Amino acid sequence: MNQRASIQNRVFQVLITATVAMPLVWMLGVALKPSSEPFSSPAQLWPNSITFDNFLSSWRPEFQTYFLNSLIVSFATVTISVLLGLLGAYGLLRSPRKIRWLVYPALLMGQMVPAASIIIPIFAMVRNLGLIDTHLALILAYIALTLPLSTVMNYAFMRSIPKDVIEAATVDGASTFRIFFQIVLPLSVPAVVATGVWLTVVVWQEFLFALAMTTSQSMRTLPVGLNDFIGQYGIRYGELMATSIVMSVPVVILFLFLQRYFVQGLLSGATKG
Amino acid sequence: MRSLAQSNRRRRLSPFGSSRNRAARAGLLFLAPAVLGVAALVFWPLVQAVWQSMHKTPSGFSSASEFVGFANYIDIVSGNSFFFLIVNSFAWTLFVVVGQNVMGFLFALAFNARWQLSGILRAIIILPWVLPGVVAAVLWRFMYDPQLGLISSVLERLFGPELGRSQFLADTNTALAAVIVAAIWKGFPFAFLIYLAGLQNVDRSQVEAATMDGARFPRIVLSVIIPSMRPVIALTLLLTAIFTFNYFDMIWVMTKGGPLNSTHIFPTFIFQTGFGQFNFEMAAAYGVLAFALLLILLVPYLRHSLKSERDED
Repeated sequence: MNQRASIQNRVFQVLITATVAMPLVWMLGVALKPSSEPFSSPAQLWPNSITFDNFLSSWRPEFQTYFLNSLIVSFATVTISVLLGLLGAYGLLRSPRKIRWLVYPALLMGQMVPAASIIIPIFAMVRNLGLIDTHLALILAYIALTLPLSTVMNYAFMRSIPKDVIEAATVDGASTFRIFFQIVLPLSVPAVVATGVWLTVVVWQEFLFALAMTTSQSMRTLPVGLNDFIGQYGIRYGELMATSIVMSVPVVILFLFLQRYFVQGLLSGATKG
Repeated sequence: MRSLAQSNRRRRLSPFGSSRNRAARAGLLFLAPAVLGVAALVFWPLVQAVWQSMHKTPSGFSSASEFVGFANYIDIVSGNSFFFLIVNSFAWTLFVVVGQNVMGFLFALAFNARWQLSGILRAIIILPWVLPGVVAAVLWRFMYDPQLGLISSVLERLFGPELGRSQFLADTNTALAAVIVAAIWKGFPFAFLIYLAGLQNVDRSQVEAATMDGARFPRIVLSVIIPSMRPVIALTLLLTAIFTFNYFDMIWVMTKGGPLNSTHIFPTFIFQTGFGQFNFEMAAAYGVLAFALLLILLVPYLRHSLKSERDED
């Protein structure tokens, strides 16, 4: 059901987009406003003159620490979670029906367990291991949050590999390992990319666990750091907004890059019900 | 046909050759790390949460926790925090889900027709959803600032200074509505994207037939488009409801559950009980209750997902 847009419809589309984007335009305007230009009340959508000072001063040492922590935690989590999820998805694909029907619902369920429902035991576990306020604590918690999703996503992609291909290889006597490395793995590259990008978007902005399990400033990740800034900055909104934008840019770019895969996945996933 | 051939092959191999067993064992080897990881890091903590919620640490620093059975739950249900938590969680989830889905659906209808700028407009419109949760929350906190915020400025121009200077986030009557509006803006593009994808699969000839019969657009939406998208709509409602019920970032950054608990929902209250008051047992109990309530949404979601899995199996 697709047609070309009429002129009225085009105008309407532009108006809707402008309305939705207005808070973002304002955010950018505040970030670009020179500190010499006072906030007027009522507020203006766009400053009279612009400067990048706020962006330059947002790149301060604490912020660099937070950025590095977010990078370390995201990279480690996504690497482990995607790898285990990829292997698990293949295992699921090759498992007997009975096991598949035991594990798959459990994974779907695990994906939806509220973080707030398991944060207390995970905190206790991490504390007993003496890991509070370390990267490893966050990585463990983030594997808990992402591994079910990673396995389910990889499995959904992997199932679109025609079964005949795998069966033919089985009949030819190829072992389960060989089929994985020679047939499934090369075909799974888009799945790994899509899952990896999606998990990065999730982990990069995770706030609840990071808030609970980091106590020293040197371990804070970006979302927690940004939340701390609110109090510290007082009314230096320009810097606050610039920091927000700098922190968002990596995931926004990743997501726009992923969008094609994502919409495809929605098309196949959301319409088969 | 395929399944018949498959089962023949299975029968031929299984009594003698162990190759099939070996293949199954290898499959389990691949599956094991993920299953062990999920079991140890998701389901075991869930069991532990139940166990912890049945304990109490008496006041005093050195005292160990003791088993109290369901006492914590009885305290919760008979106390007054449970009531406002249920009411707030329900209102928050209901209004955010309805808002996101209505907005997502209507915008999808408006954006269904394509032209040169469709790609870029769509990329802009999904930005709120792609933005990190804390960033969106910080932005909206500032939007509601009574002196400098964009919302107060717009309201002041439209309705005069009295409404314009309202402290929406500091007033118990308006705080929940204020965070709901922010959450709708943040999350609607997810529903928008799904509905946009779903509209591609609506049978165009049915729409054209209805148009020929003289049906107007609202009529076509109600009688042709919505019925044929029913499964997509059901899944989207469930998913957005689950996400919203569990959503912590927006409320914590904007109001921390205040003023006077008027915006507390389960995740924020659990966090405050556990890490604000260090009452881990009570926080665990609230966590277990939140999961139990969420099952109302999880069971239909699982049924839906497993049905489509079974169809392909």
